Amino acid sequence: MMSRRHTAWLGGGLGLALAMVACSAADTPALPSAQGVAQPAPNSPLITLRVMFDTGSIDDPAGREGLNALTALMIGQGGTADLSYQELTATLYPWAASISTQADKEVTTVIGEVHVDHLKPFYDIFRELIVAPRFDEADFARNRDFLSNGIVAGLRGNDDEELGKQALNAWLYEGHPYAATEMGTEEGLAAITLDDVAAYHGARYTRDNVMVGVGGGYPDGFLARVEADLVAALPAGDGAARTLPEPRHLQGHELLFVEKDAIATAISIGFPLEITRADDDFYPLMVANSYLGEHRTFNGRLMNQMRGLRGLNYGDYSYIEQFIQDGGSTFPVPNIPRRQQFFSIWIRPVPHHNAAFALRQAIRELALLVDEGLLEEDFEATREYLVNYANLYVQTTSRRLGYAMDSRFYGTDFFIDEIRSRLMELTVEDVNAAVRRHLQADHLAVAIVTSDAEGFRDVLLSDEPPSITYNTEVSDDILGEDEAIKGYELPINTERIRIVPVEEMFKRVS
Amino acid sequence: MRRGPNQWCLLALAWLVLSGVTASSQERIFPFPITEFELDNGLRVVGVDYDSPGIVAYYTVVRTGSRNEVEPGFSGYAHFFEHMMFRGTEKYPTDAYTDAVKRLGADSNAFTTDDWTAYHTVASADALETIIDLESDRFLNLDYSIDDYRTEAGAILGEYNLNFSNPVALLRESVRDLAYTTHPYKHTTIGLLEDIQAMPEHYDYSVEFYDRYYRPENCFIVVVGDFDPTELERLAEQYYGLWEPGDFEPTISVEPPQTEERTAEITWPNPTLPWMTIAYHAPAFSDETIDMPAMDVLSQLLFSQTSPLFQQLYLSDQVVDVLSGGAVDHRDPPLFEVLIRITKPDQIDYVRDTVLAEIERMKTEPVDAQLLADTKSAMRYSFASGLNSPGPIAETLGHYLQLTGDPETVNRVYELYDQVTADDIQATAARYFAETNRTVVVLTQEAE
Repeated sequence: MMSRRHTAWLGGGLGLALAMVACSAADTPALPSAQGVAQPAPNSPLITLRVMFDTGSIDDPAGREGLNALTALMIGQGGTADLSYQELTATLYPWAASISTQADKEVTTVIGEVHVDHLKPFYDIFRELIVAPRFDEADFARNRDFLSNGIVAGLRGNDDEELGKQALNAWLYEGHPYAATEMGTEEGLAAITLDDVAAYHGARYTRDNVMVGVGGGYPDGFLARVEADLVAALPAGDGAARTLPEPRHLQGHELLFVEKDAIATAISIGFPLEITRADDDFYPLMVANSYLGEHRTFNGRLMNQMRGLRGLNYGDYSYIEQFIQDGGSTFPVPNIPRRQQFFSIWIRPVPHHNAAFALRQAIRELALLVDEGLLEEDFEATREYLVNYANLYVQTTSRRLGYAMDSRFYGTDFFIDEIRSRLMELTVEDVNAAVRRHLQADHLAVAIVTSDAEGFRDVLLSDEPPSITYNTEVSDDILGEDEAIKGYELPINTERIRIVPVEEMFKRVS
Repeated sequence: MRRGPNQWCLLALAWLVLSGVTASSQERIFPFPITEFELDNGLRVVGVDYDSPGIVAYYTVVRTGSRNEVEPGFSGYAHFFEHMMFRGTEKYPTDAYTDAVKRLGADSNAFTTDDWTAYHTVASADALETIIDLESDRFLNLDYSIDDYRTEAGAILGEYNLNFSNPVALLRESVRDLAYTTHPYKHTTIGLLEDIQAMPEHYDYSVEFYDRYYRPENCFIVVVGDFDPTELERLAEQYYGLWEPGDFEPTISVEPPQTEERTAEITWPNPTLPWMTIAYHAPAFSDETIDMPAMDVLSQLLFSQTSPLFQQLYLSDQVVDVLSGGAVDHRDPPLFEVLIRITKPDQIDYVRDTVLAEIERMKTEPVDAQLLADTKSAMRYSFASGLNSPGPIAETLGHYLQLTGDPETVNRVYELYDQVTADDIQATAARYFAETNRTVVVLTQEAE
């Protein structure tokens, strides 16, 4: 209910559009009108501002992992030159207005939401937070503790599903700039000083790195004004292109066990993908992925086979890009674009005794998709679903604005329109060919959060088939398929098995 | 290049013209036109005209939640039943239902709370009849096998497991168990682990649960967005007209007044900062009396980001990083719960004493008039900002409908918020924030 200001830490997304980098030249403050994104909704009393900077955790200096996140937090949970954090929150309070920051691997977005009644004074604060944050010592200490606690207590002890996803990220991207969490690392955060934050802000929050978006019932000329203000007040960038190496090539099934006192076993599986929304093959893969594991629906095979027929857990889904659920909805948050993406399967906590079976079943489902593809009828039904469902991605102006900005980032037309138009041109052959080009089940990173890591490892390495225990009688069809699942061999790379106590996770980048 | 003040004045004029909905205290908080009708079997249908071209939200509100789980050993069934409602009918077996929803491209799901269960779909407006066909069919004709039932019990256990990797789930369960003695709010909506583990053996009880509560007089339909009210009435009559009413009335125990403070300390086996909940029994929802609205205002005065507690514990001392408090609207007296995460484990007592001292102060010192006005403003603007698409609007209206059955409740309760005075704040604090009405549970990391 209240005007809670916060910073969201996101675990995924794609990277910096070349169009944005190309504008980094320097002393041409005339810019962004070409980059600004507008989503007017003249009848709405609400206004959203989204200011996205080409800065993310990949820009953290070595040994200072968390600097991008902490800098964002000094905006989302800090003051301006004129207003302390305390004064600022008191000002926003009666308006129920919000200012938050969202920090991902490659971009960081400052998001403002306000009723039209208060736009002018709100915007003055919003702008000053971006161009001249306060960098108060007490705010710094509090925000750094907040991030550190997010790792030490939050990830390690309070949320096994997020722990599994972040463990997959660390394992999948070992040696890559994406490897650290978006919050940083425990040791990286401890090393950061307030001077580091101020310097980082000066270097990364530049007029060359910014994309402005406004949505809702804003007045005429508002977008141009915001752009002009930011261009005038922000420094020029250094013009340096941010290079991003290829992720390492996985060799077989590589297993990372995170050991802790877990009530059930959480599993995340993935591998790097070489495509993003900017690529033609993204769209046929979108169809295939929906068929395999659409997020939080019963449309996907994973969900139907694992939860629906077998009651293994609460849900099982797959993704072809970083996916963060937006609040209580089933839709992904916008403004987490990345230049490199990954495929993943999320197996929600499974009772320990069924976990080895669940792992094998999920990977076998992926292999079946690769080997057999979709049938024509599955393709038609999934495409029809996605074309209709895409409309629901953008039910609010704020989300529509976010997606429009992401489309600008990727250099595509509006994402929702792209989904509709490109999917209508597809054939089942297109989809299955894209699956064969980009998906595979032989080289996977697997992160397993469980209570008996050695025991689980031994089960996976033994010749004994995994067991499954049911609550009830199941059909012969299911039992027959179970035998196939139990017999499905995982090409585990025994040189790439690691067991890590949870207390050791995210201390530093390995 | 900045615009000068004059340009801002021009823009300000434009904003006044643009402002279609205001959060002014003089206006009704729920600004959209409502239509309502009732079928002969008691089912009430509420429609909201909202400008969302091509999109409609369809909510079925069942006035049943874990509050209705009155028999020992059967906690968690309202939520379990929410899952079973996706297990199909003779006309639309599970696969057919899923396929139909899939082809619509609908966003369809459900949730359960202490007091109500909601089945919600957001989809293209032209799918309305198909949605009504699918939804009415499972409410009239649900038909699941004992094997389906037992299989779904596994998913329930999975949901419990994922919730309980977070210590707050354990904390909430402990607070409820300690604060209540007889009322069903003693257990949380997900249910107790031993009851969940026993669910596979209680197929017959699940059927009885459906028979008791999934009846037209116990439900509302809420439709928001792009639809024709006349057509909605025709479709409702066509698809829900044969739904037979029931007559079951659960006997829900009245919680006796708490007479002494209750405390507990619990541990968590994994890394965590200490958590603490301070809870008081609070007034049930009412759109007629001032206590509940006064408690909601109190929660903002005590725990918003402008509150003295937030300033002291979060900003100055930096000994907490989670600090919230309040009571969720409930049909029976809920708990006003203060949830705190303490960043310095040796400061648990200090944090507790500081919070309790501030709560005591609310009984003796009148709230500043400007702060009270700002708080009411914040509550109105926050509410208005949330009404931004058909789904949240339907959920908001459903929430108030399940509480009182009257869609006007939403406007009445916000009128009450506006009427809360400094005296009301003090009187309500004195009435409910008594030591004898308090329960405190502290969760810490298990010693190695």
